[in-house]
Amino acid sequence: MTATSGKIILHLDFNTYFASVEQQANPFLRGKPIGIAGKGRENLQGGFGRVTVNGLNPERFKRSVITTASRQAKRSGVKTAMATWEALKICPDLIIIPGDPRKYAQITKRFLQILQSNCDEVEQFSTDEAFADITTASGGDYFGATLLAERIRNQVRDDCGEVATVSIGVGPNKLVAKLASESVKPNGLTVITPEAVEEFVLGRSLADVCGIGPRLESRLGAMGVTSMATLKKVALPVLLREFKQYGLFLYQAVRGIGPDYLEDDQADPLSIGQSYTFPYNLTNELEVKTNLLALADRVAWRLRKQSFAAKKISVFVRWDSFSGWSGSRAIKDPIYDGRELTDVGWSMILPRLRSGTINTKPGAMSFELAVRQLGISVSDLIQLDTAEPLLKKDQKKKNALLALDKVSAKFGTGSWQRLSTLCTVFKERVSGWHYDHED
Amino acid sequence: MQHQYLDEPVDVTVLFSGRRVRPIKVIWGRTVFVVDKLNLVHSAREGLDKVFFFSVSSRDSFMQLRLNCKNLEWRLIESFVP
Repeated sequence: MTATSGKIILHLDFNTYFASVEQQANPFLRGKPIGIAGKGRENLQGGFGRVTVNGLNPERFKRSVITTASRQAKRSGVKTAMATWEALKICPDLIIIPGDPRKYAQITKRFLQILQSNCDEVEQFSTDEAFADITTASGGDYFGATLLAERIRNQVRDDCGEVATVSIGVGPNKLVAKLASESVKPNGLTVITPEAVEEFVLGRSLADVCGIGPRLESRLGAMGVTSMATLKKVALPVLLREFKQYGLFLYQAVRGIGPDYLEDDQADPLSIGQSYTFPYNLTNELEVKTNLLALADRVAWRLRKQSFAAKKISVFVRWDSFSGWSGSRAIKDPIYDGRELTDVGWSMILPRLRSGTINTKPGAMSFELAVRQLGISVSDLIQLDTAEPLLKKDQKKKNALLALDKVSAKFGTGSWQRLSTLCTVFKERVSGWHYDHED
Repeated sequence: MQHQYLDEPVDVTVLFSGRRVRPIKVIWGRTVFVVDKLNLVHSAREGLDKVFFFSVSSRDSFMQLRLNCKNLEWRLIESFVP
């Protein structure tokens, strides 16, 4: 971890990713305020026939949020994660586009392939950004690095389109490379040599640093630290006392010191979960249970895909009133099957659903307990290999699940579904898309 | 502005160039749509089938077409008229 180890790191970041890809596909959206929202366009096709989106069908979007806003929309005040109705209030001309996860997945795959073919090593940081070690590929100097970055940018333009632009930063470590790429947007190429690191970093604001969020910034502000220059004046013991281990990160960040190695593997997850806000309230027990099963199957698939089984299950319900309830239970035998996850989760949720039932119709719930959002997650994860079933029937079930996983891996997660979940409203999402698509 | 998501069969005239396919004319009912620009192509798996999506535009409208490689069927899945 140094600013001058001789490594050259490149950071590539797409500008307003989902919105740019949509503007690339549809030239009539270019230069206009657009927001990517909704639950994915599959929902729009599923059983609704011809759906007019702008001249909005408000039902489709009233519970959605903006996942990406175009530059034009951002200028009008539209922000990521803003409720769609709120964004439309701020920017009445905003064009809402339902997200298309398959399209974005393919563009991600293309830019990663470009990096892999040009760089020594690549680390995908998120859907639309990646780090690459270009020390050898660039010939070990910043002139070669600049030429290589320019070549990568041109290849991305050729393969992903001229509107889906990227900003590239080059520096001696990941911290500086990311700061560099974010310093010029859109379509920037910023190269920071080791000699220029100090001046460059001091010229950034605290919020520019990946790892300094609004809360940390306000804590620093309370200490009188409002800029990188003032942060540099704070001694390490003071930072350690105030922020514990994070103090060391701050001390190093302000000096342009950051990791110059790429992570080839993600760390093991501590928990895996999935939640969903339904397009309408669920008011029937059976409907809640089948949707819980659909969610649990997603969680179980992700669990097995990463070779884990779980020993703790948590469920979360948000009622129509926006109040919520959550519960968790530790289990003796590790679980990796969606059906078993559902059984445990349902045994926790059902008493809650029935606690205020006033409607005597079988399976009906009280209006107050109508379910707006449902979530299930697992934690206390152990390796799947160690969860070997003793009974033959359980062994058979495990083999069947692993066989179904192979089908999902080859043909996508929608390639098989339990009969009982066919009527669920749970469909693909704009965010979290990478769990839905193997392609 | 009219933006629709559809799933309608269309006839498409294409140009073959090496391994690439480029739609040049789309006939949807009585409407003939001449493709000016191919903006983006992406693909996906739908079960056993590989499908390609072509985002194309003319001077006054945008269409997204879906080609199923197994049965070579073209469908119009999105239409946008500004």
